[in-house]
Amino acid sequence: MSSAGHAPSLQGLSKHYGSFRAVDDVSLSVERGQFLTLLGPSGSGKTTILMCVAGFVAPTSGAILLDGRDITALPPERRDFGMVFQGYALFPHMTVAENVAFPLRVRKLPTAERDAKVRAALDLVQLERFADRRPSQLSGGQQQRVALARALVFDPALLLLDEPLSALDKKLRAELQEELRALHRRVGRTFINVTHDQEEALSMSDRVAILNHGKLVQEGAPAALYERPRTRFVADFLGKSNFLTGTVREAHPGGFAIAVGATRVVQALDPAAPRPALGTPALLSLRPEKIALLAEGEAADNVVEGRILSWAYLGAGFALSVATPDLGVLRVTLPAWGAPIAPVERLPVRLGWSAAASVPVEEDAA
Amino acid sequence: MDGAHRPGRFATVSAWTVAIYLVLPITIILPVSMTDQRFLSLPKEALSLRHYATVLGSAEWLGSIVQSFWIALASTLLAVVAGTLCAIGCWRISRRSTDLIRGLMLLPIIIPSIVYAVGLYRYFARLGLLDSFLGVVIAHGVTGIPYVVITVATALAAFDPRLEQAARGMGASLGQTLRWVILPRIAPGIASGAIFAFIHSWDELVIVLFIASRDVFTLPRRIWDGINENLDPAMAAVAVLLVVFTVLLLLLDMALRRRRDAA
Ligand SMILES: Nc1ncnc2c1ncn2[C@@H]1O[C@H](COP(=O)(O)OP(=O)(O)O)[C@@H](O)[C@H]1O
Ligand SMILES: [Mg+2]
Repeated sequence: MSSAGHAPSLQGLSKHYGSFRAVDDVSLSVERGQFLTLLGPSGSGKTTILMCVAGFVAPTSGAILLDGRDITALPPERRDFGMVFQGYALFPHMTVAENVAFPLRVRKLPTAERDAKVRAALDLVQLERFADRRPSQLSGGQQQRVALARALVFDPALLLLDEPLSALDKKLRAELQEELRALHRRVGRTFINVTHDQEEALSMSDRVAILNHGKLVQEGAPAALYERPRTRFVADFLGKSNFLTGTVREAHPGGFAIAVGATRVVQALDPAAPRPALGTPALLSLRPEKIALLAEGEAADNVVEGRILSWAYLGAGFALSVATPDLGVLRVTLPAWGAPIAPVERLPVRLGWSAAASVPVEEDAA
Repeated sequence: MDGAHRPGRFATVSAWTVAIYLVLPITIILPVSMTDQRFLSLPKEALSLRHYATVLGSAEWLGSIVQSFWIALASTLLAVVAGTLCAIGCWRISRRSTDLIRGLMLLPIIIPSIVYAVGLYRYFARLGLLDSFLGVVIAHGVTGIPYVVITVATALAAFDPRLEQAARGMGASLGQTLRWVILPRIAPGIASGAIFAFIHSWDELVIVLFIASRDVFTLPRRIWDGINENLDPAMAAVAVLLVVFTVLLLLLDMALRRRRDAA
């Protein structure tokens, strides 16, 4: 077994159920030791892709390669991947130790070696004291860790995780996200994780692949995806976003301007990027945290006036909805500490953002 | 259920009527079995256990009890193995055709046993299985299969298919998955099926009347003959023993179910 994990790749993977395309022509390669997350709304085909990789679902077309070798037809028990199922799938009639020992028992390891590995795996997830309990006697977080220990105990080169944290409450989830990340660094294996939680995807992964309706929409490093979403769907699904729709009025190297009603909005552009044609429609994504409240006389590339429609206090910050004459309702978030105003409904405010704060995105294909 | 509606008076009365109707014939057997008379009747002057003594001292009765027991045991084994394999196979393949097969396996309890008995008689005559231990075991085993198929299929319906996937994903072969994961999970269902298959053979009469004559003389058959020939109260004593034994088996089944539900 390689020490740095496998490098799996999907080539034109499709899975159809009748005329329904659960997975539609997905190509993706994962590097050795990488933590890849498949992110998408419920029903976008994440589990189906993972099940194809694990060998439980036979793809309609396309291939799955492992370090360059075609494994599409290999049965699951011969693939040697670790897997954490949605809901964990622990064996209820076995103790924690017996659950973790299962993959070793299957591989007919001598008892002494088996016991040592089980102990080491339980150590890794800090569950030594629970070895003799049944899964039903553990909390959700502990069960999740047993599932992890069981998936890691036979030292698989590839670990598949299907929504491993979705059954947990928020605080525990944040804790286990960190643990999982640390575990990934320690064992140095390739991880493919599935989630519908964008925060989890952003915080844990080296790379994120975003799926919608069975199609791969965009993939890349978390920050790159967040800062440069390619489509409205990605901008909207990964964090929150305002969308400005207008017509291109000016274009020059380094930027362009659009008219949204009577308001001119300027947008910076990578000099290498193609310039949009005058008169064509354009769509900009503008993150709420990139809009600032301007003081009287303060300048910015873009300035609009509006009134606070509603607001919410979130502890760390305020979330404002500001009604503007041309841009509709803009969502704005401000840090609560040192906020320049105490929000009040109908309060007039000036909003400003730089030309580089927003990004042009494509409308989703219908 | 605490929050449920209380049943109306009509429902309560009907339920009790049905319950009494079901239990009454059994309760009448008990005093009859303890009669002090020499024929089938209610006790006149005192209660007596001498008919129990007769049964337990009679080579014929004891022979029938032992024979019935072994037949029931062997046919249960047959029904459990065949029924469990069939239920697991249908569950794994799980197509429309397997629904049909599962339906077919239930035929023995759908078809009247007298029809079954007539059919068996013809075949067994040709195969030389009439009036043989093996013949009765096969007949009871096959007609016991539906009970096992039903209970095992029910247990499998509650089985989480991801457990099987998990096992195979960790490298377990089909045999290992069956032995270490599936069978332990459905064992209570198999046990229930076995108990019902045993009871089925233990009190089966119609088929035995057709395919057995002198060598195979099961307990229900001896009671039947006893009633036809002489009205010996020993039969009532045997009947009570039969009922007690069956109730014990059902209690065992309930205990197993309770343990499974608690797990
Ligand atoms: N066995 C199946 N038969 C028919 N449709 C299925 C089957 N499995 C999944 N699907 C459909 O495929 C789509 C993708 O499912 P899934 O991969 O489980 O989504 P996700 O894990 O992203 O929520 C869903 O719309 C689901 O209903
Ligand atoms: Mg899923």
